[in-house]
Amino acid sequence: MAGPLTLAIPSKGRLMEDTLGLFADAGLAISKPGNDRGYRGTMEGLDDVEVAFLSASEIARHVRDGTVDLGITGEDLLRETIPDLERHARIVARLGFGGADVVVAVPECWIDVSTMSDLDEVSVHFYQAHDHRLRVATKYFNLTRRFFAEKGVRGYRIVESLGATEAAPAAGAAEAIVDITSTGDTLRANHLRILDDGLILKSEAVLVRAVGVDADPAKARLADTILDAIAD
Amino acid sequence: MPGKTADLRAALDAQARTIIDLFAGAGYGFIDPDILQPADIFLDRSGEDIRSRTYVFTDPAGAELALRPDLTVPACRYYLEHEPAGRGEVRYCYSGPAFRFQPDGHDELRPREFDQVGLELFGSADAETAEAEIIALTIDAVRAAGLSEFKVKLGDLGLFNKLLDGIDMPARWRQRLKHHFWRPQTFHETLVRLAADPGAASGREVEFMGEAYGGGQAETMAALTGRLEEGGIPLVGGRSVGEIAARVCEKAADREAPPLPRESAALIEDYLGVAGQPRDALQRIMSLIVAAGLDMSTSLAAFARRITLMQERGIPVESCRFLAEFGRSLEYYTGFVFQIECDTATGPMPIAGGGRYDGLMSDIGARNPVPAVGCAIHTERLLAAVRGEI
Repeated sequence: MAGPLTLAIPSKGRLMEDTLGLFADAGLAISKPGNDRGYRGTMEGLDDVEVAFLSASEIARHVRDGTVDLGITGEDLLRETIPDLERHARIVARLGFGGADVVVAVPECWIDVSTMSDLDEVSVHFYQAHDHRLRVATKYFNLTRRFFAEKGVRGYRIVESLGATEAAPAAGAAEAIVDITSTGDTLRANHLRILDDGLILKSEAVLVRAVGVDADPAKARLADTILDAIAD
Repeated sequence: MPGKTADLRAALDAQARTIIDLFAGAGYGFIDPDILQPADIFLDRSGEDIRSRTYVFTDPAGAELALRPDLTVPACRYYLEHEPAGRGEVRYCYSGPAFRFQPDGHDELRPREFDQVGLELFGSADAETAEAEIIALTIDAVRAAGLSEFKVKLGDLGLFNKLLDGIDMPARWRQRLKHHFWRPQTFHETLVRLAADPGAASGREVEFMGEAYGGGQAETMAALTGRLEEGGIPLVGGRSVGEIAARVCEKAADREAPPLPRESAALIEDYLGVAGQPRDALQRIMSLIVAAGLDMSTSLAAFARRITLMQERGIPVESCRFLAEFGRSLEYYTGFVFQIECDTATGPMPIAGGGRYDGLMSDIGARNPVPAVGCAIHTERLLAAVRGEI
């Protein structure tokens, strides 16, 4: 696939600011020509690079589908969206910002539950005592399924949560959650506690390179140039 | 996969007709359960691993539906609808599509939509006769379809449960071991821990409860209520103080309990290692049981009777293989299980599988328990095996 190299970067918030800072420091300042509200940008000194401003989760999907060549997004979204990441892309740099942990948390009042193994045992009791499976609220379906399977927890059911996941147990919509946390304050404020072995992923912003880039020597060289610049 | 050719469709239909005719001749009435099923049954009854392979969607009215991942649960629902009072033995057979998401990608031998042909026998009071009938008809069916080279694998989850019931240990340990049967590694670790230091897994409840730790249920409940109030910790997450206290008490009891005797742990491991021709396996199990001083004569007599009944129905029992640890990844099996496999370049490929699942009917709403045994045949794989394509 010839043509310019497409670099997708987050379109809002701290993640966008930190990303713009990263490239500016590397001497590859990104600017949005003309219209400040546009979704396309250019990179200083590299005419053949097209910068796309997208939401972090869209970036993960585009990397999977091969419609962007390089992307910056959270590792959590990347691994959630692309369970077989190695087949589609590889992480070429960890960027040191956007850090957050994906964790399993249970109600603080469940004092008998410290580990995933406890959670497994409670899920059996729970199903016997209540008319439904123990529910885990999350937006991370794939990360949750894989981690729970590794830990041998089976008797649960995922309920989708697209916002304020930490409020689900108090609202009676779920019993446990899998969510992202940086300081743990939000979890504590909602009377939830992270399980001792409940860390699924230590996530941060990463630069990811789609495997398709290597098929085009010109693109591959451009990608190497960008990578070298931010590595310095 | 863009679809099946007319020739393939015709071959599959002809194969299904052959098998259904055979089942009908044996007294199995044809049923055609719904393809669209309420999602709840699959989500709540089978847990997340089946759910993650089930196509679930919301219809325009907001109802959560599933494309049936197999025909067993739909056949059970059909039975409950048509036989609300139950009536002795009921025999059903079916043929139709089922749908499963293939997480590693789908292809001809791991299709996401496939035709399942199967049979179910509900309400039989004579367990071994019913089991022999189902496995014999399944073998007759794959033979009628033209398959001559295949292997038969047997297992018995009921026997394993009886063995655990016979070994002296706290009920909660037994429940834990039965629960982990499906995961050999976790099972082994649990067994090792119970035989070494059963209280090792105790966690923060010791610290949280302080002096109140290790009391009776009522005492623990009272202390727990007090501590949650003091700490301003709300009771969320669906479990009552009683449920949490009961488990705290169980964990406290684990710390006091003497470990599982090493001989008992060894007996369980030895049993799970049993593999071989059914009669040899029976001999081996008997000698283990006798050496341990346990009485499982009823279960073992049933095992022996089942072998005899299978033989009488023309199954070459000496070429079957019994594996004590052979279970099925579907949690609903409770007793006799079997699988028919063909050898392929990449290892054995299951063609048909079935067994006893006595708990499922009650699980999906039957007022009284309904004994059930059945089998499903993967028709695309059967056809490929008959044609020598795998």
